[in-house]
Amino acid sequence: MKRIIKIIKEKKPKSMPDYINLSEHLNSEIKKGRIKGKGLKIAFLSSFTSNGFKESIFVKCCEAGIIPDIYIGGYNQYSQEILDDSGDLYKFKPNLVILFIDTKSILQDYFLNPYSFPIGKRKAYINSKFDEIKILIEKLKKKTSAKIVVHNFEVPVYSPMGILENRQDFGLKESVEKLNASLRDFCRNNPRVFLFDYESFCSKIGKDNTTDFKMYYMGDIKLSMHSIIRLCSDYMGYIKPLMSLTKKCIVLDLDNTLWGGIIGEDGIKGIKIGNTPEGRPFMEFQKALLAMFERGVILAISSKNNFNDVVEVFKKHPDMVLRENNFASMRINWNDKVSNIIEIAKELNIGLDSIVFIDDDKLNRDLVRKRLPEVNVVDLPEDPSLYLKTLMEINDFNSFSITDEDLKKGKIYAEQRKRTELQSSSKDINSYLKRLGSIVTIEKANDFSVPRISQLTQKTNQFNMTTKRYLEEDIKKMSNDKNLMVVSIRSKDKFGDNGIVGAAIIKKCPDEWEIDTFLLSCRVIGRKIEESMLWSIMKDAKSRKAKMLKALFIPTKKNEVAKDFYKNNGFVLKERKNGAEMWQYNLSKKYSAPNFIKVIEK
Amino acid sequence: MESLKAIMASVLGIKQEKLNDNFSRDNSEEWDSFNHLMLMSEIEKKTGIKFTIKEIESIKSFKNLKDTFEKKAKAK
Repeated sequence: MKRIIKIIKEKKPKSMPDYINLSEHLNSEIKKGRIKGKGLKIAFLSSFTSNGFKESIFVKCCEAGIIPDIYIGGYNQYSQEILDDSGDLYKFKPNLVILFIDTKSILQDYFLNPYSFPIGKRKAYINSKFDEIKILIEKLKKKTSAKIVVHNFEVPVYSPMGILENRQDFGLKESVEKLNASLRDFCRNNPRVFLFDYESFCSKIGKDNTTDFKMYYMGDIKLSMHSIIRLCSDYMGYIKPLMSLTKKCIVLDLDNTLWGGIIGEDGIKGIKIGNTPEGRPFMEFQKALLAMFERGVILAISSKNNFNDVVEVFKKHPDMVLRENNFASMRINWNDKVSNIIEIAKELNIGLDSIVFIDDDKLNRDLVRKRLPEVNVVDLPEDPSLYLKTLMEINDFNSFSITDEDLKKGKIYAEQRKRTELQSSSKDINSYLKRLGSIVTIEKANDFSVPRISQLTQKTNQFNMTTKRYLEEDIKKMSNDKNLMVVSIRSKDKFGDNGIVGAAIIKKCPDEWEIDTFLLSCRVIGRKIEESMLWSIMKDAKSRKAKMLKALFIPTKKNEVAKDFYKNNGFVLKERKNGAEMWQYNLSKKYSAPNFIKVIEK
Repeated sequence: MESLKAIMASVLGIKQEKLNDNFSRDNSEEWDSFNHLMLMSEIEKKTGIKFTIKEIESIKSFKNLKDTFEKKAKAK
């Protein structure tokens, strides 16, 4: 990872030839075994010449620590390839399929002369085009297990009707908008299919700039080389969450980052924040951060300052948007940024690779980049008026689904700070847990909890006994299976509601039950909630006359923390095979749950 | 301004020394039709000189490229 970042930093690719040369260079490094990363199979299908896409996607992926295998469909062959059951596309077995059909290709003559069709025909034509795309997507869904990213269509800015375009019934623009709306509705109802909003992408970079007409007429290259590179950057918004490379937390500097000026020198009345030309960029920057917090991004502070000066700003400055309760961790001290970031990661129990770092000071950024290459260091421009735009361009926080727990995550972590304070003021762990007053609710999976349970199986690495990953469809199927039991566990305490934090899947045979999955989110580890969950499973098993509870433990690099769980809870090791351990518990033995946790079973 | 040679070498991924007047699309593997388009677009971007489709089609060798470029640069 360090090596890739070093190579890419050195070469600083800008133009397409840079990307092509760099991609060759990276490939040779990979062949020599000098760089490694997570693998991913991406299929890219388009309705026009696709030169340049492979190399751009490749370099962008490497930058994120992914070494992709990329399949590029033949020139304008997307339909045939998708419909061919035994073709190369399906032999490739992609994890991600990107389907990019451009407006001109799909509309053909309709694009330049739509009004040669009477209105009835226009509607029928657009409907038939939507049906064509739908058939292709359905086929991809059936033939692969891939996530499917499908482009919508650029709405033309030109109309032969000129200023009267908007008076037309189902005119050119309206018809493309209709096509986009149908596609959006279709994607909304298909969990594995995601819309790539190409129309917005074109607006963002400017529709005048998307095409290089010479390239288009000479080579049927629909996008300028520069646009291809930017488009591939935006694809990373889909690729990163697919590889669980989603960031969780923004660590922020304060002086000249959250407000203008230096609090230690300018004082609370001197710093710039609020409705003035100098204060507005910071105010809007904070508002955008608050919106991210409300969508579940964790916020933290690392700042060289006197703690009391800063707290005064948060408490008393009338124009501050962010307040103390928006931050999960506040490292306001004179330590260097690197140690503060490491401390924050430890405190929040998240990986360094979940952190995005925003600081106006270039020296700090370089230091963090060098020492903590896993952290995404944002190149904050010198001019604060560009802060908001920079923040909006970060595509690291995407996920494919958003659960209630995600939305509350920022808040939940901020509450966690209060728990930590309670813990440090408690004399031992049991008295802390007693004062915490946990209440857990154990419940059979239902429509509301299925997405979260699936997400937990996908994301939980530490306290996860078997690390089996399940899709939403799998969890749904299992929860309807009479021989299986799927449960979720929700936890709440005096500081707030953590939402669903754990899950278990159990195979029920008449005499013995077997735990297939048993996991707990890292943020509640160490509160003995897992013991309450185990107790509840044992109680159920006993009531159904089972004699034995079996449990599998599969060690991974990351689940060290769960290693002794079964041993510590009275299980006996029965068998060890290829590192995996099979434990069992004789249910005639009494098991008691921690008495300081209140358990509600539903 | 980057020289034509430098731009061309970087687009085709070859050494500048290889580029002499005889270097042509016929005798070079690297100079394929896609690289040709990319080369033209890079030259346009870096020098501000714009070529027409006809000119782009007619450029077959490094000598052609130099001549066409110099003619256009003079006329500018």
